[in-house]
Amino acid sequence: MTREMLTGNAAAAWGVRLAEVDYVPVYPITPQTEIIETLAEWISDGMMDARLVTMDSEHSMITAAGAASATGARAFTATSSQGLLYGFEMIYTVAGWRVPLVMVNVSRGLSSPLTLEPDHNDVLAIRDSGFLQIHCETCQEVLDSIILAYRLAEDERVLLPVMVNMDGFYLSFTREPVEIPNPEEVREFLPPYRPKHAFFMASQPMAQGVAVLGGSAYSYFKYQMHLASLKALEVYGEICAEFEREFRRGYGPVEGYMLEDAEYALVMVGSFSTLGKKAVKRARDRGIRAGLLKLRLLRPFPEADLRRALEGKRAVAVLDQNISVGKGGILYSEVASCLCNSKKRPVLLSFIGGLGGKNISPHEFEFLFEKMIEAFEQGTLNGPHLLYTEQEWEEMSLLKRTAEKEGAA
Amino acid sequence: MLSLRFHGRGGQGAKVASRILGTAAFLEGFYVQDFPLYGAERRGAPITAFAHISEDPIMERGVISDPDMVVVMDETLLQDTRAKPLSGLRKNGVILINTSRTPEEVTADHGVEAQVVTLDMTKMSLTMLGEPILSTPAGAAAARIVGIGEESLKEAVENVLAGILSEGEELDENVKLALSVFLAVTPLDITTVEALPEASPVIIVPFEPAHISSPTINALGNSPLRKTGNWRVFRPVWNREVCTKCMACLARCPDGCISLDEEGFPCVDYENCKGCLICVRVCPAEGIERVREAQVL
Amino acid sequence: MKEEPIKSFRDIPGEEVLCSGTPACAGCGGLLTLRHCLKALGDRVVIVNAASCFTLLAIYPLNPFKNSWLYTAMASAPAGAQGVRDALDVLIEKGKLDSEEDLKVVVLTGDGSAYDMGLSSTSGALYRNLDFYYICYDNEAYGNTGFQESGATPLGSKTATTPPGERHPIGSELPKKDLFEIWKSHRPPYLATISPAYPIDLINKFKRAGQYRGPKLFISLVPCPPGWGTDPSRSVDLAKLAVETGVWALKEAVRGEVGHTVVPKRFKPVEEYLRGQGRFAHLFRPVRQEETLREIQERVDEYWRLHKLLL
Repeated sequence: MTREMLTGNAAAAWGVRLAEVDYVPVYPITPQTEIIETLAEWISDGMMDARLVTMDSEHSMITAAGAASATGARAFTATSSQGLLYGFEMIYTVAGWRVPLVMVNVSRGLSSPLTLEPDHNDVLAIRDSGFLQIHCETCQEVLDSIILAYRLAEDERVLLPVMVNMDGFYLSFTREPVEIPNPEEVREFLPPYRPKHAFFMASQPMAQGVAVLGGSAYSYFKYQMHLASLKALEVYGEICAEFEREFRRGYGPVEGYMLEDAEYALVMVGSFSTLGKKAVKRARDRGIRAGLLKLRLLRPFPEADLRRALEGKRAVAVLDQNISVGKGGILYSEVASCLCNSKKRPVLLSFIGGLGGKNISPHEFEFLFEKMIEAFEQGTLNGPHLLYTEQEWEEMSLLKRTAEKEGAA
Repeated sequence: MLSLRFHGRGGQGAKVASRILGTAAFLEGFYVQDFPLYGAERRGAPITAFAHISEDPIMERGVISDPDMVVVMDETLLQDTRAKPLSGLRKNGVILINTSRTPEEVTADHGVEAQVVTLDMTKMSLTMLGEPILSTPAGAAAARIVGIGEESLKEAVENVLAGILSEGEELDENVKLALSVFLAVTPLDITTVEALPEASPVIIVPFEPAHISSPTINALGNSPLRKTGNWRVFRPVWNREVCTKCMACLARCPDGCISLDEEGFPCVDYENCKGCLICVRVCPAEGIERVREAQVL
Repeated sequence: MKEEPIKSFRDIPGEEVLCSGTPACAGCGGLLTLRHCLKALGDRVVIVNAASCFTLLAIYPLNPFKNSWLYTAMASAPAGAQGVRDALDVLIEKGKLDSEEDLKVVVLTGDGSAYDMGLSSTSGALYRNLDFYYICYDNEAYGNTGFQESGATPLGSKTATTPPGERHPIGSELPKKDLFEIWKSHRPPYLATISPAYPIDLINKFKRAGQYRGPKLFISLVPCPPGWGTDPSRSVDLAKLAVETGVWALKEAVRGEVGHTVVPKRFKPVEEYLRGQGRFAHLFRPVRQEETLREIQERVDEYWRLHKLLL
């Protein structure tokens, strides 16, 4: 084991290297590119025994990665934002093949308008595809999650691809100390991939990815993917326990921060959870019994864990770093669906923040806790509420004037 | 409400037949819904189409599993285990079959309990249109049986086919064909009794691991189970007297249905031969004859 | 390894790698092409299929193939072939797979994917010198969706999106893309045109192609009875007429050197090929579209003059 300063991207590359991946088809896109560049260097220098091919698009890249996985190789690829959307068709296709591809998505807001900084609309667009989703908060979590992801994806009870998500810039380009486990230990935890269900070899031909006709056959295959995804929740628990024994780092499907005795809970996902935790601490200092629940798995959705952790709270605020235009926060709806049948259901509030990487200031978090208390005590509820400050509005006004927008505030 | 189901083969015109019926009923002032269902199979493969005709607004969507009347545009479909044209037919319902045989013969052969109407639509089409396309006779016969008037039928044929045929000539021939079918068939009283569908309980679908539940086929070369032989209108029949064993038919068969027997003569797998008749055309010795399938039955 | 060419129908391998009972139309020229291609290639093959009519060759639970098969999507079959080829190579190199288990990787696609949507991923695979076979069965339109215009649709063809009408009497107003030349500009070691009516030529081309590592490409002009508006029994005749009239040049390019493998002694007039196809009927009736007919013939003549095979 060594300890180094690594960016999220470098940590991802280390995870891939330690997983002894066979095949890496790639295509560049900011802010993911550093992952594939790092792997390219290692492969070129002979420090990693794998084949890397630069493809002609993300659509081709995901096809090649999935096809390699369907052939029986351990494959990896990474993308972000527009790239994920360009390859979108193949996300569903590869998931339906039931092959254990592991991908990294480095979250970045979606065009239009085009932007570079993160939010989660890209990765949530593939929410319903069959890919499992692990969301990371730290660079260490990125490295560890990739190793966990292969173990989870390749489990015979699962056999679905996994997307490991990290936020662009705030994780991808941020350096932190990261423990790099020994290859031997990882090898022991993650044995080579030996598929029994999907491969290509001359002695055992098979037809993969075939069409079905008729709703009952289609329903069967789709629902089995759902059941396998639910099964992954159970499997994830097992392998995380094993990972913790081996590497002394635990990763539950949800993580609570000062949550046990909290009256007011904040639900977050991704790297900004760190800011949320800090805000919780400050709220505690102000005498508010605040806590935070971080969702690590979004697919399968850890419904029971989430319900258990949030039932009986006075109020829960879901802070979505995404926007479903015309509805609001995506995770708000998902959390609400878990709690709506509960007898000890808390008041539920919806906030949207951090779109396109917009900072969430301590004051905005304070506002959010105030609103939670208000909702509990006075029953006032409205939302979703966009976290946006007056100063930001004024700055935006200046931009509009510079763009010569007539009639702008 | 009357619910009809058409069974044909891709290219025979089941969809157009259902539209002719639907349009004719619409012109008579009924509420109507028509709808085709085709799968992956192409020309020659079994397809279905549906029509509802009602005096009241229709509260139905999708396939008709318990029709009042079925139109079987190809007699060979009666034995088809996937098409199952008679399944769910209501008691006292009507079966209209394209065949050269009499209702009594069909009833005896297939043990059907229903009002059976037979009409050699293929022969009529071959005579009047020169092609075994059955949309007009099937649509017209169905329309006549359910009691639609001559004018509405004529207008429906014109309306529906105008968008499909490019030449006015063929349209006139189709109208003539429709009218001669109109005269050849008589309306029937269709008062059916709803057959109680067998109840199948809703279950909790169990988890199956990916080696079972992935959409992968481990069987090799099992497509002959589809038995595409029932697509044929005509079958090729070899005359060994003139066959020179040149193997042209083997080399030209798209479906690989021809092989050599022990004596080196070509023999065909009629279970899957689709009846494209390329072999008939390419045989240099003219040693392959085309025989109408109905005559072989 | 160089293989002896075959000379007659008797030499065509007897075993059927592609079994009967497929959902393909009766008289499908594409299926006849594929049948011969697989006879030439054998069963140690993995087909990577693009969206096309042949998507539906394997529909759960029926599989016509004795070889392996992977259905990908419309745009990216060559990328799928890249993934499979690379994975096989890596697994063999690492000793995870016995080299006896190796497979030839074959992309199978219609013209819609080959000429249009899949061109980017095809170009990528050619650029990367992927060791694979690529078979395009070209029926000159999007056949699987009911025959709409594609980049392969020839001048004057009626399709569902180029219906001849008062304002547009000739149907498709654009000539066909030259996919052979597009491919050739990438300098693959082997490319050829083939025809289901010339199985000996077809099989011998696969035998020659087998000597080369890298992309090996085949385009087959395939009669499509429902799309072309022709009787299924005429599919072989039509494929042959396409060659005899010079509409479809049977050729190959070995390391960029083009050679024609079947040259008619005397070219039949193109009208003989066009007539009797429903998709060209409007060029003859109700009025002859003289200018278009002349242009179609002229384009054919020009091709053969360019290659100094028509004086």
